[in-house]
Amino acid sequence: MEDKSIIQVRGLCKSFGKLQVLNDISTDFQEKKVVSIIGPSGGGKSTFLRCLNLLEMPTSGSIVFDGVDLCSSDTDINAQRQKIGMVFQHFNLFSNMNVMRNLTIAPMRIRKKSQEEAEEMAMGFLRRMGLEDKADSYPSQLSGGQKQRIAIVRSLMMEPEVMLFDEPTSALDPEMIGEVLDVIKQLALEGMTMIIVTHEMRFAREVSDRILFLDGGRIDEDRGADEFFDDPHSPRLISFLKKVL
Amino acid sequence: MGFFEQIAVILQRYYPYFLDGVKNTLIIAAMSVVLGVVFGTLMAIMRMCRIKPLKWLAAAYIEFVRGTPLMVQLMFIFYGLPMVGIEFPDVSWIPNFSRFMAGIVAMSMNSCAYVAEVIRSGIQAVDEGQMEAARSIGFRYGESMRLVILPQAVKNILPALGNEFVTVIKESSIVSVIGISDLMYGTNGVIALTYRSLPCLAIAACIYFVLTFLSSRLIAYLEKRMKHGR
Ligand SMILES: Nc1ncnc2c1ncn2[C@@H]1O[C@H](COP(=O)(O)OP(=O)(O)OP(=O)(O)O)[C@@H](O)[C@H]1O
Ligand SMILES: [Mg+2]
Repeated sequence: MEDKSIIQVRGLCKSFGKLQVLNDISTDFQEKKVVSIIGPSGGGKSTFLRCLNLLEMPTSGSIVFDGVDLCSSDTDINAQRQKIGMVFQHFNLFSNMNVMRNLTIAPMRIRKKSQEEAEEMAMGFLRRMGLEDKADSYPSQLSGGQKQRIAIVRSLMMEPEVMLFDEPTSALDPEMIGEVLDVIKQLALEGMTMIIVTHEMRFAREVSDRILFLDGGRIDEDRGADEFFDDPHSPRLISFLKKVL
Repeated sequence: MGFFEQIAVILQRYYPYFLDGVKNTLIIAAMSVVLGVVFGTLMAIMRMCRIKPLKWLAAAYIEFVRGTPLMVQLMFIFYGLPMVGIEFPDVSWIPNFSRFMAGIVAMSMNSCAYVAEVIRSGIQAVDEGQMEAARSIGFRYGESMRLVILPQAVKNILPALGNEFVTVIKESSIVSVIGISDLMYGTNGVIALTYRSLPCLAIAACIYFVLTFLSSRLIAYLEKRMKHGR
C-alpha cells in the first residue's frame, strides 16, 4: 500500500542574515501519519516547522502542500494556512477574546460558518475535553494545560488537513503535560496528519510513525519510531539519545 | 499682610484673569491632544508601513520633534509660517484667533510625534505570538491587526494617551510667550498689576496641579472601568 504524500519539501534552506539555520532539507510527509522532530536546542526545529506554513520565508528550496507550491508568488498563502493548523509552545490564544470567541472567530470569518453552527461545533469539542464550563472564560483565567487544549481545538475548528505542533508541552507544569499529550494521541488515532516538535521522547516513540533528528540544520536521521531509538545510526543522534534518555 | 491673605485678596480681585486663563489652557490642551491623536495615528501608521520613503519621513519627523524644544517649535510656527506666506486669518468673534491657531498648531504638531510613539510602542508591546497565531490560522494581516492586535494595543495606548493629555496641559504654559492668554499669561498679567509675583505663581501652580490631578484621576477611573469591561 503506497501512502499518499501531502507535503513535499525539496532543498529547503533558511538563513537569518549570515546564520544558516536550515541546510538543504528534503523530505516528504504522508497523509494520516505522525512524524516527530527531535534534536538539540538551536538545531532549527522550530524554524523548519514555521517554514511549513510560511511564518518564516524559506531562503531557497520548495515546499509543496497538497500540490500547491507554497513559495510561489501567486499562491494565496492565507488560503493554504487555513488548511494547516499550528499549535505553539506558548499557546497564543487571543487574549482579548473569551474561549468561545477564540474558537469561533476563524470559522465564522473565514469559513463563513453561522454563529450557531460554529458554537455548536466548539461546544462539541469542549465537551469532549471536559472544558464546556470554560466557554466564557478568558485565556488569562485558564491553566496552561487548559490553554493548550483550547489552542488545539482552535486549530481543529478550521478542519485542517495537517497539524503542526511546536513543543506543545514545553511551557507546561509537569502535571499538565499528560492531558495535552492525551489529546494529541487521540488525534493520531483518528488519523490526523501531524508533525510534532517535541522533547518528550516516550511520547514521540509512542505516537509517531516516523521520527526525524534535526541537528545543525540537517536531517541527520529519518527512521521508524522504534528503530530510531533502538538502532540509531547517526553518531550525533547516538550521543544525543545518551544525554536525554 | 501674610502670604495666604495676599493670595485671598488677589483671588478675590483678579479671579476673572485666572478663570479666563484656565478656560484657554483647557481649550488649547484639548484641541492639541485631539489633533495630536488624529495626526499621531496617521504618523504611527506611516512609521510602521512598508513603503520605505513614508516610513523614513515619519521616523525623521518623530525624531526631530522629540529632539527639539517645544519653545523653538512654537517660535518657528509663530514667526516662521507668516514669513513663508502662511498666515492664520483673524476671526472677528474670537479675539487673537491667529495667535491661538499658531499655538494649537505648534502644540499638536509636537503632541503628534509623541502620540505616534505611544501608539507604535503600544502595538509593539502586544506579544508577537498573537500575530503569528492569527496569521497561521489564515487571517490576512489587516484582519489580524483589526481583530487581535489593535484591541489589545488599545489597552496599552489609552492610559499613555491620558498621560499625554496631562503633559500637554503643563507644557501648554509655554504658549503665553506668543501672547496667548492662557493661565500662565493671565498670571503674568496679575503679577504686572499687583507686583506680588510669589502669591500669583502659587495660585497658578495650584490651579495647574488641580487640573492635572483631576485629569489623571479621571483617566485612572476610566482605565479601571475598561479593565472590568475587558
Ligand atoms: N527570527 C530569527 N532571527 C534570527 N535568528 C533566528 C530567528 N529564529 C531563529 N533563529 C536562530 O536559528 C537557530 C535555530 O532556531 P530554532 O528556533 O529553529 O531552533 P530549535 O531547534 O527550535 O531550538 P529549541 O529546541 O531551543 O526550540 C537558532 O540559532 C536561533 O537563534
Ligand atoms: Mg524551538
